[in-house]
Amino acid sequence: MIKLENIHKYYDSQHVLKGIDLIVNKGEVVAILGPSGSGKSTLLRCINFLEQPTRGIVEISDKRVDAESASKADISSLRNSTGMVFQQYNLFKNFTVLQNVMIGLTSVKKIHKAEAKKMSLEILERVGLTNRLNHYPSQLSGGQQQRVGIARALALNPEVLLFDEPTSSLDPELVDEVLTTIKKVASEGNTMLIVTHELNFARDISDRVIFMEDGVIIEEGTPEQIFNHPKVERTKQFLGKAIRAK
Amino acid sequence: MENLLDINFLIESIPAIVSRLPITIGIAVGSLILSLFIGVATALIKIYRVPVLRVISSIYVSFIRGTPLLVQIYLVFYGIPKIIYYLQIQYGWLQSADVNSIPPEVYALVAFSVNLGAYLSETIRSAIESVDRGQFEAAKSIGMTPAQMMLKIIFPQALAVAIPNLGNMFISTIKDTSLVFIIGVIDIMGQAKILGSRGLAFFEVYIGVSIVYWILCIAVERLLVLIEKRARRYERGIAS
Ligand SMILES: Nc1ncnc2c1ncn2[C@@H]1O[C@H](COP(=O)(O)OP(=O)(O)OP(=O)(O)O)[C@@H](O)[C@H]1O
Ligand SMILES: [Mg+2]
Repeated sequence: MIKLENIHKYYDSQHVLKGIDLIVNKGEVVAILGPSGSGKSTLLRCINFLEQPTRGIVEISDKRVDAESASKADISSLRNSTGMVFQQYNLFKNFTVLQNVMIGLTSVKKIHKAEAKKMSLEILERVGLTNRLNHYPSQLSGGQQQRVGIARALALNPEVLLFDEPTSSLDPELVDEVLTTIKKVASEGNTMLIVTHELNFARDISDRVIFMEDGVIIEEGTPEQIFNHPKVERTKQFLGKAIRAK
Repeated sequence: MENLLDINFLIESIPAIVSRLPITIGIAVGSLILSLFIGVATALIKIYRVPVLRVISSIYVSFIRGTPLLVQIYLVFYGIPKIIYYLQIQYGWLQSADVNSIPPEVYALVAFSVNLGAYLSETIRSAIESVDRGQFEAAKSIGMTPAQMMLKIIFPQALAVAIPNLGNMFISTIKDTSLVFIIGVIDIMGQAKILGSRGLAFFEVYIGVSIVYWILCIAVERLLVLIEKRARRYERGIAS
C-alpha cells in the first residue's frame, strides 16, 4: 500500500503541489489525469524523491518518510520499493537490454549474477523481448525500449510502479504494443500509478481515476464515474475537450 | 667531402634512444592515470558545488593554466624536498622519507599529473554534464547509490564523449615529457642530448629523437581510434 499525506512542492516561490493526499491499495491501478502543468509528473517524482517534496509524508508498506526529515537511508528505501517508467525511456545507453534489467538486481539487490540473469530473462520473456537481449538501446525501436524500461522497473519487484506518460514519446503505431504490455503487468496484480493522456487506456486499465488541476486533486472516482458522470465542471471540460480532440 | 648528415651516427643512435622509451611512456601514462583521478575529483567538486574545495580547485586549475609547465616542473622539483624537509624539522613528520633518495622520475610524474589534471578537469566536467539527465534519474529510480551511478552509468558514457579530447591532451603530454631532462630524468630526449654531446652530432640525434616521438604519437593516435570505437560501441553498431 502507498499513502501520501499532505504533499507540498514548491519550486522557489511557485507552489506546484498544494497538499496532495492519496492512498493506493495493494494491487490497485490508479490513473492520474489532468492538464499540462497541473503537477502530475511532479507528484510521481515526489513519491520516489527524484524531487524532494517540500512538505508531507510518503508511506510505502509501513515505511513512513517525512519529507522534512528524510535521511539518505529513507530515500533509498523508498527508491527500492518503487519502480519508475519514464516518458523518454531513459534506458542505460551503455548497457544491453539484458544488462539494463540485471543491473538493479546485481548492484542494488546484490543478487548473484547467474541468478540475476535467470530472473531478468524471465521478466524479459513477459515483455516479449528475449530476442533482443544483446542489443543496445540505440538499436531498438521506441516501443521496444519502453518495454525494456518496464522490465527494468519490474525487475526489482517494487511495491508500486510509477509510469509517467509511458507512451507519449512513441510513434502512434508503437503505442499499442506498450499499452498491451502495461495492461499485462496490471493484470499480474501489480500496484500502479499511471500518468497518461491516453484516455481510453486509462478507462480500460484503471480501478480508479484521479483528476488533478493546478496542484490539487479536484476529483477522483472509478473510471465509470469520472468518464461518464464527472461531477466537477473542470473535469467535464477537460474530458470533453480531450475526447473531441481525438 | 662534407656531409649534411652523419647517417650512420643517426641510425646507431636510435636503439639507444628507444631504450629510454619506457621512461617517456611511463611518465606519460602514469601521469595520465593520476591526472584522471585529479580531473574527476575536481570536476565532481565543481558539479556538486562542494563548498571550500570548489574555491581551492578553481584556484588550482587557474594557476596551472596560467603558468608555464616548465615553471611547474621546477616548482615541484625544488618545492617538494623543501616542504618535506620543513615538515621534518618543524613537526617531526615524514621522518622515514629521505629527500635525497627520491628519484627525479617521481618529481616528473607529480608535476605532469598535477599539470594534466587541471587541463582534464574542464573536459571531464563538461563530459559528465553532457550525459542526459534521464540517465541519472533512471539510476536513482532503481536505487543505485551515487557511487554506483557514477561508476557504472555516468563515467562510461562521459568517457566515450571525452576520449577525443583526452587523447589530444595525452598526446600533448607525451611531447611535453621532453622537458623532464631539465630535472635529470633521462628520457628519450635526455638520451638524445647525451648522445649528441658525446658524438658532437646534435642534428643527427634530434632527427633520431623526433622520429621516435613521431612514431610514438602515430601509434597512440591509432590506439585511441580503437579505444574510442570500443567506448562508443553502444551508440550505433551491429548487435552481437
Ligand atoms: N525542475 C523544475 N523547476 C521549476 N519548475 C518546475 C520544475 N519541474 C516542474 N516545474 C513546474 O511545475 C509545474 C508542474 O509541472 P509538472 O511537470 O509536474 O506538470 P505535468 O502535470 O506533469 O504536465 P505535463 O502534462 O505537461 O507533463 C509546471 O508549472 C512546471 O513548470
Ligand atoms: Mg508530466
